[in-house]
Amino acid sequence: MNPLELTLGIMTAVGGFVDISELVFAAKAGSTFGYALIWAFALATIGIIVFSEMSGRVAAVAHQPVFSLMRHRLGLKLGLVTLAASMIANLITCAAELGGVALILNYMTGAPYLLMAVLMALVMVVSIWILPFEWIERIYGLLGLFMLVFAAALIAIHPPWHQIAAGFVPHIPAGLSTKEMLKFGYFVVAITSAVMFPYEVYFYSSGGIEEGWGIKDILTNRVTAILGMGLGSTLAIAILASSAQLFGAANVDPVIPGSAALEAAIPFGKWGLVVALLGMLFAVAGAAVETCLANAYSIAQFFGWIWGRHKKPWEAPRFTLTWITLFALALAIVVTGVDVMTLVEFAILFSILVLPLTYLPLLLLAGDKKYMGKHVNGPLAKILGWLYFAIITAAALAAIPLYILTSGGNS
Amino acid sequence: MRGKPLLLALFVAGCSKGPDADLQYIGEARSAAAEWALVNDQAAQGRLSGAYVTSMHKWLRDDLQTSLSSLTERNSVYGAEIQALLLQPDDAAPEALRAHAARLKQIEDSLESA
Repeated sequence: MNPLELTLGIMTAVGGFVDISELVFAAKAGSTFGYALIWAFALATIGIIVFSEMSGRVAAVAHQPVFSLMRHRLGLKLGLVTLAASMIANLITCAAELGGVALILNYMTGAPYLLMAVLMALVMVVSIWILPFEWIERIYGLLGLFMLVFAAALIAIHPPWHQIAAGFVPHIPAGLSTKEMLKFGYFVVAITSAVMFPYEVYFYSSGGIEEGWGIKDILTNRVTAILGMGLGSTLAIAILASSAQLFGAANVDPVIPGSAALEAAIPFGKWGLVVALLGMLFAVAGAAVETCLANAYSIAQFFGWIWGRHKKPWEAPRFTLTWITLFALALAIVVTGVDVMTLVEFAILFSILVLPLTYLPLLLLAGDKKYMGKHVNGPLAKILGWLYFAIITAAALAAIPLYILTSGGNS
Repeated sequence: MRGKPLLLALFVAGCSKGPDADLQYIGEARSAAAEWALVNDQAAQGRLSGAYVTSMHKWLRDDLQTSLSSLTERNSVYGAEIQALLLQPDDAAPEALRAHAARLKQIEDSLESA
């Protein structure tokens, strides 16, 4: 297996896990509850591995991306509802990522935020237009690996490893007031949503088809899903743990993405800061590209248009027009001046509501012997698939009440 | 029947006013002050770039301003504390900023336990 084949998983994971929402949520979770929410990241990571592997396997065996299945399995009406909800969630997420990229460039250069947003939207549109799919993955995925500085920073600050290890065991910290308990619950739901963002699966399965995956790629798919998502999760947990150590004690609840960069600057100084900001830039830009393409994939697949970046832009005109329009809409949202973190909160909320509808058809198809033959879900995939479907459904039901009761985890 | 307490709680959460409603913004201002101190601390040791420091100062000030304007009781002890914080220069001494953060934390804790 060529190591470069892993770049789809790395881009999906680095852009999916360590996007703008994780940069803030992981840091905030660490500063507020110490290491107690590590298990929520770990639990959701297993969930996204299970569903990514399933979507990649379906792409390799049945050559069907998620949204084609959605239409067949849910029917036109419910399929349309899911498409509309996913589109809104993905568009808000894309706007949040684009705003995040502009913010990071503002931290790096001091250049005006809105100017950077416009410039980066153009850069991303041009990069998607001219680069083959493999190079989009490689550039955003591999350069996002600068984020590894956060893992190095955690090691450098000598954290209490036994407490970090204890954080992997699901628990609720003792002695929380009702208010704190609700806030903890909101964080669990938000982390589940942020880790299992639906666009990751849309992008990953469509990417598998872009790369022409077949049955011979089932092992690549499995390794990519486990290593890619595992890497993303490790980075998110490193950000959480550093935050617990550095920000918790200093009474800082990080609410802006730039705070996370301090985690690398404190142990490594200026070069740590620069590497962290570069990693954040490529990871968040990768997430912006992912969300935009995922949205365009979904729409094109649902309506049966010709789609894919393996084709020249003019060979798939409606698909091309869709992703360009989506970038323009995301930019329009950012230019209104709406706060990036408000966008992140809405993206998380919308995404969790869409999650059950996204994963149910996938679960049904991956378990259907007629489509999947001998590559149908085995007992482990079946148990984990339905268990996680129950978890995300419960999280979706709890999301809005918890959001209101905790003011989005801020009170 | 079970839905009623939840609906009531949601209604109350949306309507509260006074120090209780301001608690969130006091916490946000406390955090911004503490982070400002951390940034200035690291900057004084030459561990941060100039562009990053300038940018962080701008966003933290924006956050503080938002917290102040979101208060339902601006003419309060905590309102005055946030206003005093906003009067600090960008390169204020970390100790001075930490003192503001500590006072806001004290107010936050006393309101939470009340």
